[in-house]
Amino acid sequence: MLSEYLKGNIQFLEKVETWEKAIKIASEPLLNNENINQKYIQDMIDNININGPYIVIVPGIAMPHAKNEGGVIKTGISFLKLREPVLFPENKEVNILIILAAEDSDGHLDLISDLSSILIDEDVMIAFRNSFEEEEIIDLIKSVE
Amino acid sequence: MANLANIENATNVKRPSTRARIQAIGGFLTNMVLPNIGAFIAWGILTALFIPTGWFPNEQLASIVSPAITYLLPLLLASTGGRMVAGQRGAVMGTIGAIGLIVGSEIPMFLGAMIIGPLGGWVIKKFDKSIENKVPAGFEMIVNNFSIGILGFILMVLSFYFIGPVIESANNFVTSAIKALVSTGFLPLLSLINEPAKVLFLNNVIDQGIYYPLGMQETVNAGKSIFFTVASNPGPGLGLLLAFSIFGKKAAKRTAPGAIVIHFFGGIHELYFPYVLMKPFTILGMIAGGMSGITVFKIFDAGLVAGPSPGSIFAYLALTPKGNFLGIILGVIVATIVSFIVTSIILKIDKRKEVDEEDFEVSVEKSKSMKSEGKQILNNSMDISQNNIQKISFACDAGAGSSALGATTFRKRLQKKNITGIEVKHFRIEDVPGDSDIIVVHKDLLERARLSHKNKRIITIGNYIDDPNLAQLIEELDKKK
Repeated sequence: MLSEYLKGNIQFLEKVETWEKAIKIASEPLLNNENINQKYIQDMIDNININGPYIVIVPGIAMPHAKNEGGVIKTGISFLKLREPVLFPENKEVNILIILAAEDSDGHLDLISDLSSILIDEDVMIAFRNSFEEEEIIDLIKSVE
Repeated sequence: MANLANIENATNVKRPSTRARIQAIGGFLTNMVLPNIGAFIAWGILTALFIPTGWFPNEQLASIVSPAITYLLPLLLASTGGRMVAGQRGAVMGTIGAIGLIVGSEIPMFLGAMIIGPLGGWVIKKFDKSIENKVPAGFEMIVNNFSIGILGFILMVLSFYFIGPVIESANNFVTSAIKALVSTGFLPLLSLINEPAKVLFLNNVIDQGIYYPLGMQETVNAGKSIFFTVASNPGPGLGLLLAFSIFGKKAAKRTAPGAIVIHFFGGIHELYFPYVLMKPFTILGMIAGGMSGITVFKIFDAGLVAGPSPGSIFAYLALTPKGNFLGIILGVIVATIVSFIVTSIILKIDKRKEVDEEDFEVSVEKSKSMKSEGKQILNNSMDISQNNIQKISFACDAGAGSSALGATTFRKRLQKKNITGIEVKHFRIEDVPGDSDIIVVHKDLLERARLSHKNKRIITIGNYIDDPNLAQLIEELDKKK
């Protein structure tokens, strides 16, 4: 399920200057597929500025998202991996960004469930952190779906 | 750090696009029908084989045909529709409403079931939401059952009285429309009304009331009549089902070939109805096919000597008078081709967007079953002493992302340790229900959580997956097991 949503929405980059830019770049596939609009990208950035970087869910991995106040058209998820980490507020280093766009608070629980399966599995996590190939990432996700 | 004024003023405005809305409805219809296609096929096989004009007439087995199409198929549709909106409770409500419709009408209620099913589900969903958290402890069971009982009863009676007049006016409309079209002399136009009427089971009134009398009149003089063909051509249905066999999605694609056999060779046209109900736009394919068939019949001045029953290709050929075979066969073929082309186009346009819809609907279903799982756990745990932790709520700003992740992961950890009876859910900080025993938030959000929940036990974490405080909480729960 997660792998279906992520297909074609995975990017890899060397580095990005700022965390705001990282979010913007990571969100592009969702913008292009009309899952979200520009407002949502701003919402996510505002969210972090207001509430702090709690969206860095585990060290190194951030899941930027925000409430749907008109910014989310269709539930979707995208992925950006950086070779060099980018610094989020409070000096949190992040090299994986998973942008989550949820229409409401429930419809995407399957995606979340798949994501948590990955995060909870040590072996998968190690492979996840070390991979720079879209195919590999998709296969890893499929292995825990 | 936390700018609370901003957060408090934020309003939740949802603006899904029209296209998204249309897509959602289409997916909804499909998922109501598809799971039940097997029942339609079973019915079709039964009918094709055992009715008096079937292949192996058998009076006893044929007695199942009518109750099955009148009760079984519509009730299945209603149950599925209700389930999609409100889980098991919705299924029950939808089905109760459907029986009112079914008994109150004389024609099979496919479309009616597809409306009342989700409607029943919606009613109970709204009701449940309005009484959420207002039910005194221990009364949940009673309220749950009587809410469905009473609301279902009302729905049943309302639909019973409602449907009769509705069908009557639909019949009247169809009859007058057909009469008007017949008088224009442009017979192909009849398909505009025929095809939708067939799918809604409104065709009996025009078959018996108009076509057969006209047909029999013509036959007296000419020995044949085109009126026996206008609503019975098996070509359009064949074209539609062929299109589904090639361009349909998974279950539709796999079942359509079987449906072709029963429809085209068995003459049981009802087999293509669920496919049209799933994808209403394909009615255009049926209309186009019907129109082209009639046009060809007209061009070749073809007709049948009697009404084909059932509407199979064999019956057609058997009732074709000499000299008309070319026209009849061509009419069937052309209708098939036209309906196939139009239906394929419609299906192809849809297909690209279908994958997303299906996953979406599946995920909606799964999240709903996850929700009802949570409710069951709550109902099962009888011990309501203060020392027992039964409800843990993860919270974050949006109530959708990190809290959901935290809750899901925590639930999995609990499962791994075989700790049961604890409900773990996710919410917006301000929406955390009052009966939560523990609230879990990211440490950055502690102040904000305190504001809304002064006296609750709040656990803060820095890591949603693997935090020492969570590990400690799990140990605590493990000991209490």
